[in-house]
Amino acid sequence: MLSSVPQCFSAATARFLSRIVFAIGAGYRAKRVSSLHGVATAQAMVLLGSAFLFESHALSSDFERSMKPLVTRYCLDCHSGPDASGDIDFVSLTANSRDIAEDYRVWESVAKHLEAGTMPPDDSEQPNERERTQALAWYQAFVESVPARPAVLRPRRLSVMEYRNTMRSLLGFELQVAVTEAAQTESERSLAIKLLPTDVPGESGFTNATLGNPISLAAWEQYAYLADAALIELFSPHRRDALEAFTGERNGSLTQAHTMRLLRNFLPRAYRRPVSPVEFAGVRERLAGLQGEPLFLALKLELKSALVSPKFLYRGFLVEGERGARQRVDAFELAERLSFFLWADMPDQELFDAAADGSLLNQESFLKQVDRMLASHKSRRLADVFVRQWFSLDEIDVATDNPPIREAWKSQPLDFMHHLFTNDRPLIEMVDSQFAFANLYTAGIYGSDAKEVRKQKRTKGLEGEVFENMRIQLNDASERGGVLTMPGILAMNRGPILRGTWMLERILGEHLNDPPANVGQVAPNRRGENLTFRQRFEQHRTQEACSVCHNKIDPLGFVLQTFDEDGNYMLAANYRPKKQKKPTSDGVASDALDTSGRLPSGETFANIRELKEILATSQREAVIRNIVERTMAYALCRRLELFDQPTIAEITHRLNSETATWRDLIHDVTQSVPFQEMILSPANESRDRS
Amino acid sequence: MKRTKMDRRALLRGVGGVMLPLPFLDLMASSSTAAAAETPPKRFMTLFKPNGVHPPSWNIEGGSEYDFRMSPLMKPFEKHKDDLLILDNMGDFGFSSHANSTRRFLSGHHAVKSSASVDQLIADQICGDTLHRSLELTTEGLFPNQFGCSYISYDKNGGAIPRASDPQLVFDRLFRNPLANPAEREAMGSVLDRVLEEARSLSRKAGIVDQRTLDEYLEVIRESEKQLQTMEQNDVTKGMDVAGFTRPGTGENLDEQVDIMLDLIVLALWTDSTRCITYMLGNSNSRLVFDFLGIKQQHHYLSHFFRNFSRQNLDSLLKISLWHMQKFDRLLTKLKAQAEGNGTLLDNTLVLYGSGMGHSDNHTATRIPTVLAGGKGMLKTGRYVRYAENQQLGRLHLALLQSFGVDTQKFGGSIDPLPGLRESDYQPYQERSFESWVKIEGTEITVQGRLRMSDDLNEAKIFYVDVQGRPSVRVEVNFRDFHDFNLAYHCGTGVTLTGDGLATGNQVAVTKVRQIQSIFGNSP
Repeated sequence: MLSSVPQCFSAATARFLSRIVFAIGAGYRAKRVSSLHGVATAQAMVLLGSAFLFESHALSSDFERSMKPLVTRYCLDCHSGPDASGDIDFVSLTANSRDIAEDYRVWESVAKHLEAGTMPPDDSEQPNERERTQALAWYQAFVESVPARPAVLRPRRLSVMEYRNTMRSLLGFELQVAVTEAAQTESERSLAIKLLPTDVPGESGFTNATLGNPISLAAWEQYAYLADAALIELFSPHRRDALEAFTGERNGSLTQAHTMRLLRNFLPRAYRRPVSPVEFAGVRERLAGLQGEPLFLALKLELKSALVSPKFLYRGFLVEGERGARQRVDAFELAERLSFFLWADMPDQELFDAAADGSLLNQESFLKQVDRMLASHKSRRLADVFVRQWFSLDEIDVATDNPPIREAWKSQPLDFMHHLFTNDRPLIEMVDSQFAFANLYTAGIYGSDAKEVRKQKRTKGLEGEVFENMRIQLNDASERGGVLTMPGILAMNRGPILRGTWMLERILGEHLNDPPANVGQVAPNRRGENLTFRQRFEQHRTQEACSVCHNKIDPLGFVLQTFDEDGNYMLAANYRPKKQKKPTSDGVASDALDTSGRLPSGETFANIRELKEILATSQREAVIRNIVERTMAYALCRRLELFDQPTIAEITHRLNSETATWRDLIHDVTQSVPFQEMILSPANESRDRS
Repeated sequence: MKRTKMDRRALLRGVGGVMLPLPFLDLMASSSTAAAAETPPKRFMTLFKPNGVHPPSWNIEGGSEYDFRMSPLMKPFEKHKDDLLILDNMGDFGFSSHANSTRRFLSGHHAVKSSASVDQLIADQICGDTLHRSLELTTEGLFPNQFGCSYISYDKNGGAIPRASDPQLVFDRLFRNPLANPAEREAMGSVLDRVLEEARSLSRKAGIVDQRTLDEYLEVIRESEKQLQTMEQNDVTKGMDVAGFTRPGTGENLDEQVDIMLDLIVLALWTDSTRCITYMLGNSNSRLVFDFLGIKQQHHYLSHFFRNFSRQNLDSLLKISLWHMQKFDRLLTKLKAQAEGNGTLLDNTLVLYGSGMGHSDNHTATRIPTVLAGGKGMLKTGRYVRYAENQQLGRLHLALLQSFGVDTQKFGGSIDPLPGLRESDYQPYQERSFESWVKIEGTEITVQGRLRMSDDLNEAKIFYVDVQGRPSVRVEVNFRDFHDFNLAYHCGTGVTLTGDGLATGNQVAVTKVRQIQSIFGNSP
């Protein structure tokens, strides 16, 4: 059990917290006058955050003494002004008005560079040992001074995926686009996905962080249209069952009683929490005395208004609790957090009931719900939504135009991760496993391991059929365990640099800046030279500005050079290069490829098998930490903050083992402080007065 | 595809029987303003048939401009003969990919990649004052492997224009849009009032952070209100009672979906909601399976009737082609049924029906099925026009552009508009006389005569060379020869063919082609 699992705060703590937040609220209002749009809220969040973080003024004065002089002296040459290298401008970052906590990612990376000795570059003046130690000590103290706490709750719009799924669960059917299915063709079947503006990934890297992506007029018109389309279908004869799920069994036309029953069933589900008697009284008043067509029209107005209401389209407006205070979330909010995390969908009836009777707040029944939800077919969305975005799998669409191949490549990591999630498999199997998933299109790369798969038969007269994946045991093709060597992932990252970068960012959780713009191309071989691409690339990237990142990227990328553009293993006995292909830029035989490498931390390896071994042992902590961070960011639907770090560190520490599983992770994340608790921003007093 | 399938069809089943005639068309007589207008507007409608044809079933052999017999595949629309202008010898490429042939269909030439297709240029010309500039419709999803197979309409930059496939969505866009429909506008107004009220009540309880999000929402609601008010002031519906139209279903299968869409097209043209529509009955390499015709194989697979030959496959292919023709018939029938001005809606609509290629197995872009209909004043119908030479499609498009009053002298690489559309000012095809003979030297056979495909569906892979005064020489070769020598391209013309074979008495059969030469010099 986590030590940080929610517990009741003492009344004194609550008073203390609310005092701080109220004070901030006043400051916020003052700012609001001068600032028109989103900035004001951002500032409010910042102020709120720093109030907790900088209770101790000693820390910020330490910053002035320990970190600021170092960066001012050694870093400003490159990192200042409008052309600051990597867009890191230490003049503005160290300004007095600046909130250090808000910039903690920068300071985290400064500390990492100082620790590894990768910055300042070797040809620049270096800080002495005392300066270095002092700065690192400040950073350590700074991080440790921050206690775990929840974020301030801000209502956010459902992502398109969440909206689609919620509409389907609410109505009992999906709104679909009519188009005749044909092999090798693609068309969006979901009306919601087709019509709504595409979500951009939020600051967390996931589309469910919708805060930076506010509603637009175009989106509103589609919400209104979708609500209409949903009601037309709900009241059409062939949706009788769906309608009767709300009205109860019905003969003949809608009566007052049917209508009220429908709304009593519909509204709480739409709003994902009980609706107050006062609100129902309002509804009854509006419908009073109506029958026949006028009653039907009034009912449709009620329903349509509900489906475009902020109470339906957003999460968080209805949360109950004390304004301006830190507290545990209420049971219905907890149910929503759980279902939108595990299912990208609204709670089902059972979860809703567990919230209603309060049992969800009890740890044992809470975990029972989590396990039940993981076992449900809806948990497939963890793979289809979360993993798809985490691994950027939609880039496979660019790697091949052939839909059955696309489907084969994309479904492999999804089926694989879904299997890990739902079969309580170890976390670390993500990088290496003894099994894989394959269909007829991918069977070729698994040699004799895929014997059973090759029995899948094409139907005569159907070109481009899609086949389901089968689970296979890896004996021969052991280099294929885990996601790193899946063909789709190799094909969407062609070339060692993209492959290395992908592994570094998506698996090891590093944040890389964009490369400098003026580095030019890797020079071709001069006459008489017969250097491999790797050798020429190494000449090319000897500049210090490059090597900081490339020392990390390159070993991870070049180790995958034995896999061709489509992810085929060039050392396999049955390997045949693609026909009509230009020779690779290496122009050397594949057995001459140098796949060996050395990580900046010192481990060396000869090939991908050895690298996977390292990732599963000495680098395991980095992998697990990344898994925890990605999962938390997705579960919380927001960017991770400094105050999340203690929770991340604690969960990482506990799960850093060969045996810790995905279920353990999901248990830990869903029981953590940021998941179970919230801070409600203070009441909007100015509105009350106006 | 592995997507979760919620089968709309299954759910629609039981609604009761066939959905035709659609109720929304009955409303027309009372509500059209276009009908009352003094000079009805001109429209352009294109219906695209995927996957070429089996040429012997489509082509008209023999006959003249006014005296011709329609081919077996034309039977479904034979009754419209007086309203048709059937063009022959359209297209001038020996082989053509699906994607190229699709691009050429309305863009003149496949190399045209950065300018608009002919329908869009016509839309620019004639749709300035309609609520919708044009509609681009289809039945099938996108084929990403060859993107170009899925589009015939291209915008002014040569970019593919997204197509709509769902009749209900099209209907809603045309007639249930609050911008077009006063009743919808009013309903939307009530919803806006309600959510505004609700947002205000939320605001009373909201925290400072919640309020920011709420403000975003409220801003959009107010924008929407403003927009509706603007629409209130300038009524774009021209007094039409669009609120009275009944929303169509989506259809139980492809057949019904297409019927509904065709009816909707007629309604859109008749209400003058738009004057320019393109509709693809499938991608040009359509993978559709016509299960409602009892066919289990994909259309594209069947269209390669030489390499995938069986009598059953060919029958299936012809059934599908016949179905396409029936849809064309339906469109014409519906357009004719609507009175407009002193004539019918068809009189004021120029319809282009056709495919991207001729022979569907070898992808020859010659003798491409091309039929024009209606368009009174722009076409002289009731004719079969076979040009002396193979024609660039761009010439046809240029002629159409000029007919619609577009001021342009070239299109898709063509600078001469195609003659023959309004009068007989073209050079007709004439069978040129040539000698025919057979020479047999051991197993080497050389034959000169007119090459043709077998009319017998049981032997659709077999070709004949007609030689005067003796039985035709049978050419029965493998796919390689059929393809490499492009036998399909030479069909209907005089050739000198050399190959290996066997002569038994008067019967001569070639089983391996060595060389083929067109007598009049045209080779692909």
